[in-house]
Amino acid sequence: MLEVKEINVFRGDAQILWGLTMKVERGEIVTVLGANGSGKTTLVESILGVHHPKKGRITFLDTEITFKPSFHITRIGISCVPEGRRIFKDMEVYENLEMGAYPEKARISLKETVERVYSLFPILRERKKQIAGTLSGGEQQMLAIGRALMSKPTLLLIDELSLGLSPKITKEIYGAIKKLHQEGMTLLLIEQNAMLALRHSDRGYVLETGRITLQGTSQELLGNEHIRKAYLGM
Amino acid sequence: MNEFLMYLTNGIVIGVINAISAIGVSLIVGIMRVVNFAHGELYIFAGYFSYHLSASLGVPPLLAMPLSIFFIFLIGIGMERTLIRPTYGDEMYSLIITFVLSIVLQNAALLIFGPYPNKPPNLVSGATNIFGLYHYGNQRLLSFFISIGILLFIFYLIKRTWFGKSIRAVSQDREMSSLVGVDHLRVNMLSFGLGAALAGAAGVIVAPIFPVTPTGSSAISLNAFVVVVLGGMGSLKGCVIGGLALGIIENLGAAYLSTMYRNIFGFVILILVLVFRPWGLFGQKAQ
Repeated sequence: MLEVKEINVFRGDAQILWGLTMKVERGEIVTVLGANGSGKTTLVESILGVHHPKKGRITFLDTEITFKPSFHITRIGISCVPEGRRIFKDMEVYENLEMGAYPEKARISLKETVERVYSLFPILRERKKQIAGTLSGGEQQMLAIGRALMSKPTLLLIDELSLGLSPKITKEIYGAIKKLHQEGMTLLLIEQNAMLALRHSDRGYVLETGRITLQGTSQELLGNEHIRKAYLGM
Repeated sequence: MNEFLMYLTNGIVIGVINAISAIGVSLIVGIMRVVNFAHGELYIFAGYFSYHLSASLGVPPLLAMPLSIFFIFLIGIGMERTLIRPTYGDEMYSLIITFVLSIVLQNAALLIFGPYPNKPPNLVSGATNIFGLYHYGNQRLLSFFISIGILLFIFYLIKRTWFGKSIRAVSQDREMSSLVGVDHLRVNMLSFGLGAALAGAAGVIVAPIFPVTPTGSSAISLNAFVVVVLGGMGSLKGCVIGGLALGIIENLGAAYLSTMYRNIFGFVILILVLVFRPWGLFGQKAQ
């Protein structure tokens, strides 16, 4: 479904990603593990069209999207929950969800999609008139996921889902992810928290200093000696 | 007492027009981080357009007004596409460009329209007795109601429509708004056009009351900047309150202190706000 092929990505003069190749198949949950500064966020931003690779190509549903602008990528079915959530803080919760449905074809079914998001995260219904900046961290993360779902994506990217959240909330959100997956959503998780992410995903990649150094099924990775030491602290 | 009420009414009428003009500046600053120094010139051009459309070309004044505003909207869009768009990412360039543009347009206005004040015909004549207290010119009353109508329209546009929501989203987080599918270049272009159109709207509303002259444009830009700073960057409500405050203070000051100092009051307020409350009355403190 999503294929990243041999991309080199620069930020300014510094090369961040080196010949990176990975893919996500329909219906999978794939995790990309990486420490701070490994290039995780740059990878996400390259897929989303914030940065464009100097070399290599990115295709989604057999269409090349390497040099497409961000707003176009959302319209064709990739949605994201960015690192730090980045909800529209001065807008109401409901307005944030509405903004998620900005693409023309998502607006038509806005009402139904909102209901679906509310059934996934009931707290958002209670808070719908509240200014988004006043929500707790966990609620903001739910809102960010809800907003991303509003465009009815076929692929959902989540960058640092568990960052700054309590274990309880993290677990709750992973529950929602599982539910989404059962409904047929394809997900790409970018995570530091290896244990949780691998437990909930089918396959994984390990990103180190801009290169994929390891890949395999989540089971394999959970059993890998290097991963156990470096990411699971065992 | 009645005299005081009349000056106060004058202040309120001018205040709402101030607010329209200031919202034009505030939108452009909030969304694009561009300070449009040519704001006053657009206002003056709109005044002259409505004058020439109605006085020289015989277009009914009521049609000449929206037509002039529409022209200014197109000019705004043209400015964004040709001059402002290449400067994104460097606020200094856009500052210099709009500053140069303001000088060029001011001199163009002098060349095209001449240095004489011009005044489009009044839409209505006569005066109305307000609550049996004093008489007030119908043209001013009409200007007031048109201004209120425009303000309500802007609030509706920003709060309720997709365009308005995308504007607010872009001004909060440009990158995130494109990640939800907003084409922010298009939003920039349209909001620059809208900002210009609001300068134009203020211009055509004011022109029948105070004739426009090319050299009056800097004072108009400054007036709008004072209101934006007073109300707080990016706050519509702030623009309305700030506009009213400035209108009332200027009019009462001119009436009871001295007409000569009319424009000084704005500066005094600007300095006081910058010293004591630099984030404005309704703005948010930058973190």
